[in-house]
Amino acid sequence: MENAETVLQINGLTKIYRSLFTPVGVKAVDNLTLGVRRGETYSIVGPNGSGKTTTLKILLGLLFPTSGASSIFGRGINDLSVRERIGFLPEDAYLYDCFSGEELLDFYAGLFGYGRRKRRQLVDELLALVGMQANRRVPFRECSKGMRQRLALAQALVNDPELLILDEPTSGLDPAGRQQMTRLVLELKARGKTILLCSHFLAEVEEVCDRVGILYAGRLVSEGTLGELAGEPTEIAITTSRLAGGAAERVAAKPAVVNVEEGTVRMRRAEEGQLWDVLQTIHEAGGVIFEVRRPRPTLQDVFVRAIGEERVSER
Amino acid sequence: MSADLSRLVPLIGAIIVAAIAVVTRRAWLPAIGHAGPSIWRIAKITVAEARRRRVVQAVIVLVVVILFSMTFFTYLSPQEQARMLISGGLAAITVFGILLAIFVAAFMIPHEVETRTIYAILSKPVRRFEFVLGKYLGALIVLGVITAIMTAVLVVVLVVQDRLVPDSGESVFNPNLGPVIFAAVMSYCAVAVLTALIILISTVSSTTMTVISAFIIWAVGSLQSTFSDLAQHAEGAAKTLLLIVYHAVPKLENFDFQREAANFMPISLVSGWNAVLHGIGYTAVVLLLASIFFNDRQM
Repeated sequence: MENAETVLQINGLTKIYRSLFTPVGVKAVDNLTLGVRRGETYSIVGPNGSGKTTTLKILLGLLFPTSGASSIFGRGINDLSVRERIGFLPEDAYLYDCFSGEELLDFYAGLFGYGRRKRRQLVDELLALVGMQANRRVPFRECSKGMRQRLALAQALVNDPELLILDEPTSGLDPAGRQQMTRLVLELKARGKTILLCSHFLAEVEEVCDRVGILYAGRLVSEGTLGELAGEPTEIAITTSRLAGGAAERVAAKPAVVNVEEGTVRMRRAEEGQLWDVLQTIHEAGGVIFEVRRPRPTLQDVFVRAIGEERVSER
Repeated sequence: MSADLSRLVPLIGAIIVAAIAVVTRRAWLPAIGHAGPSIWRIAKITVAEARRRRVVQAVIVLVVVILFSMTFFTYLSPQEQARMLISGGLAAITVFGILLAIFVAAFMIPHEVETRTIYAILSKPVRRFEFVLGKYLGALIVLGVITAIMTAVLVVVLVVQDRLVPDSGESVFNPNLGPVIFAAVMSYCAVAVLTALIILISTVSSTTMTVISAFIIWAVGSLQSTFSDLAQHAEGAAKTLLLIVYHAVPKLENFDFQREAANFMPISLVSGWNAVLHGIGYTAVVLLLASIFFNDRQM
């Protein structure tokens, strides 16, 4: 539902790729409707070929939709004034490889019509933000993957955009690089930027996103905050010491217990009235209780469940 | 209409276009006002990229070597030596200019699309026609600098030879500098027209197809009078086809003043002016089409 706080709105977007050999076409995006609110970080997740990048490309005017409409800041996506307020980080950081970070940022800032002094100041600030001051004169082709990705993020920030569109910002990075990029995204979020993010790395999405849309075969199959998507916890997990002898069998025999694994007893939350009884059984069996918690399903769990349900309904 | 008056047609056409542009300036001036800096920034980075790639430097070195090697034909009479140097030098400038135009222009836009460097540019406030015009302007600057260097080298060679080669009887070494420079400038104009056409093709086809098409256009454009003769003698569909080719392909022949410069013949400035005006009109139409096609291209 579009409202005053909606920065980006997609309504019934469909994209069909047609060619000479596929006149019927391949549906990459299927009647997609979603909205991103001001200040939130929204992530589109989905398996390969689910239409994530196609959607971003349509929003940037690189591809044309077969049907449907999109707007950013209440204006059509081809309105030039919209581009002055957005920043885009392309997947795999494709920038001119014979130029240094300093030269590249100066070029991209120039596309916004900034004067020499402002460009110089911006270049310094952005290189500092992404931690590239020391390597400011290194040609892009000689930069590591992580440096490239950080420079690509810097070019997306040259106009201090209100809306950032990030396509796989941590793709191809090592764990340290991913952590650094996630930290940068969190910093931008803290500065009040609205962020639309596509990523394969669900743990990072979970860390930075307010809302998530799960795409499958071009369709939005699930959308909401992680809490909404995951729902209330259905289980209680009791972390214990190893249950020796027949102790594990005795605990597992309790009707509320779902299963007993190495050091973890899982019971149905619906039967939480039985919790004290289960804890007592563990104690009597010689087990030491370390922790009792209600584990919320991770985004990974939600994702697998949503995609699984779609696959089943397809059959 | 007399022949003299018909020569004025391009000039009158240019005056009419300029008048329309002035009258309608309120409609297009704001757009151009915004487009100007973007076009210039894209042109500048295109030039900087060409400089870094070092292919251009390699070609310049090759042409310089060829021009200097032609000074070793000492068995010719001074007049023949001058003729050979001028003719060979201008031919080298034209051939290398066109070859560079083909390779610079044919790879420019498809390479940006294939390597996806275009994504970061088009996501900024840059219209697609600004990108096309920026790339064209960049290519023009690169090719202009190369032509200027090659021409300067030819002029230096001619001046040095003029001092070194002793006159023998009536045979004198005439460097014919004015016509040589004029012919080189006209050769650059041909390159500029061809570059625009290559960019148009590159907006709708792959790099390989663009390169092949460019070579065919170069060949056909250099043989326009032959196509005109063939069209006059042909009939039916063949005549129509030949006429389409004749009118669609730029008349590169009109820019060729090598024969006049090498043979110390008088040069018709009006012919040159007509060729330039025709070239400007042709280039404008071709770039307009390139912008329209590129605007509809999916990335």
